[in-house]
Amino acid sequence: MNIKKLLRRNETVLIFAIIIFSLVIGSKSPEFFTLANLFDILRSSFVQLLFALGVLIVIISGGIDVSFPIVGIFSGYTAVIIMQKLELNPESLLIPIVLAVLIGIALGGFNAIAIAGFGIPTLITTLGTAGIFRGVMLSFIGASFISDIPIGLDKFSTSDLIKFESDAGTLVRLHILVIPVTIITVLVALLLSRTIFGRSVYALGGGAEPTRRLGISVKRTQAKIYMLVGGLSGLAGILYVSLQRKANPYDLAGSELDVIAAVVLGGASIMGGYGTVFGTVLGVLFINMIKNNLVLLGVSSSWQRAAVGVLLVIGITIQAISENRKNKRQKSASDSEVA
Amino acid sequence: MSERANKFSTTGLLADRKVTQLMAFTAFTFLVFSYFSSDIFFTPENFLSMAYQVPEIAILSIAVMLSMLTGGIDLSIVGISNASALIASYIMTQKMSEEGAISNSWILIACLLGILMGLLCGAINSILIAILNVTPILATLATMTLFNGIAIGITNGVSVSGLPEQFMRIGNGTLFGVPSPFVLMLVIAGFVGYLINRTGLGLKVFLIGTNRKAAQYSVMGDRKVIAWTYVISGLLSALAGLIIASRTSAASPDFGNSYILLAIVIVVLGGVNPMGGFGTVTGVVLATIVLQMVSSGFNALRFSQFFYLAAQGGVLVLVMILNTVLEKRRINKSINKSLGS
Repeated sequence: MNIKKLLRRNETVLIFAIIIFSLVIGSKSPEFFTLANLFDILRSSFVQLLFALGVLIVIISGGIDVSFPIVGIFSGYTAVIIMQKLELNPESLLIPIVLAVLIGIALGGFNAIAIAGFGIPTLITTLGTAGIFRGVMLSFIGASFISDIPIGLDKFSTSDLIKFESDAGTLVRLHILVIPVTIITVLVALLLSRTIFGRSVYALGGGAEPTRRLGISVKRTQAKIYMLVGGLSGLAGILYVSLQRKANPYDLAGSELDVIAAVVLGGASIMGGYGTVFGTVLGVLFINMIKNNLVLLGVSSSWQRAAVGVLLVIGITIQAISENRKNKRQKSASDSEVA
Repeated sequence: MSERANKFSTTGLLADRKVTQLMAFTAFTFLVFSYFSSDIFFTPENFLSMAYQVPEIAILSIAVMLSMLTGGIDLSIVGISNASALIASYIMTQKMSEEGAISNSWILIACLLGILMGLLCGAINSILIAILNVTPILATLATMTLFNGIAIGITNGVSVSGLPEQFMRIGNGTLFGVPSPFVLMLVIAGFVGYLINRTGLGLKVFLIGTNRKAAQYSVMGDRKVIAWTYVISGLLSALAGLIIASRTSAASPDFGNSYILLAIVIVVLGGVNPMGGFGTVTGVVLATIVLQMVSSGFNALRFSQFFYLAAQGGVLVLVMILNTVLEKRRINKSINKSLGS
């Protein structure tokens, strides 16, 4: 790949943005360049990254999902309730995780039926199911905050891979989740690039009709996508509950925008057909870096949301401009061919 | 000429059928709740309170409808309405004396600036969507965060309350015995109805929604038309925001977040095609009334607000499923018919 092409890639731009931003913040406050701060950014990124991987798959396939945070908290909260009601082994970490993932897959299946089965637009479906899931959870499963989550989950929140006291006396901790999350990220990357399913996701994003003509079942691919996203969201939800050390059914609602923002900043095309896991990882890190450190730059926390909005608008504008240019280039190329 | 007349009569028929269905549905909902809750639901007080609550959401839904007619969507409506309401409320509270007195001209200026804010936000959407070619979902998702963020930033996340009495009269008073917000809604609905059914711009809106590419090739200035729909959508959102502020005497950056889902449910229930090209103002207003009755009815029967949320989502998905199934059957029928003949 030549250098010009490499420079034009979204990932490269994002890496530069991250470096420039780090230098700016770092020059203002040396606290930024500490291991503790890096690990903090990582810790706040785990859950979002899992959500983002799911959203990435949906966006590549040309759809959009706004129900995933609700699926996540529904799964996490319900798993905790089931653990308590059935008095399952509270020491276990595996049981709640498996429960949450299964619930997530079931809820994703609900989306899959509406989208793949009936062909309803993805935004409308997931807006509707988000309302259904949230309403059902809060009126039938529970609406109260659970602070005594099972011991296994509670303990997990403080399981650190690396833990030591820095010279400055602050506690530096790297959560053990960094390993499983990295493995899942790599698996999703392999799934998208090395399997027939992954390639059909990209094909679907390119267009449903051509995909059908290639002999790929559009419905089956869509069904798999939304169930997979449900499972990933369920996992993210239970990990969120664990890291927070409480199960609050009102949490996560409204966080879909930050995740979609991260995926889009990471270069995934909302029209479908393009997007990389690497870009998404960078997007999530970038957003979290900004959200965690705007205060260090002297931006008050009430302007954080506006800052994310500005970033998102800039990101999509850059994407749109380069897309328009590409189209024009192709058009002029085909015009000159005709001439 | 005859072809054009023909086309209009068929869309007219289709519109009539959807509206008739909705009227039947409205009557049905009305009867069900009146039967189950005659003591609370079936009272003049309840209908009066519904007449005050319907306008704001109806106006927001009409704004969503406009963007949907062109095949797009506007998710930033609530962000715009809150930002506009906050600007107007902020100016009013700043210009108010200790005793709460304020001149009418300042109220007018505050409202105009609020409306200007709505137009400005709409224009930002227009630039992103019509000029830069960003997908409407993504553009308005981003601007929704932006407008909401600006509102939070300006007010530090707290709400502005204690608005002047003259201003509150708009949202709580009556005009010829009818709640004034309801009158305002009828005026706005009439205006938008006129705009989409009787003007060139409206015709182009439908044509673009039916087939964007065909519209592009017929050089009707599709970008300009789309830009206008988002500016008008911003204007309507601002008006809804001002009505909300004047009814509740407060403006807050996180007011009415649930209105986005509700507005889309209403628009789809009102028979607007989310792919663009079809929809009526009457349908949207009727659908708003149906959902308001469901909300009040649930309240009267003491269902939780979250049950209402689930019902909204359920209605949205079910109506969409019903529409696609019926559409498929209709197409199959017409194919069979043409094969038979």
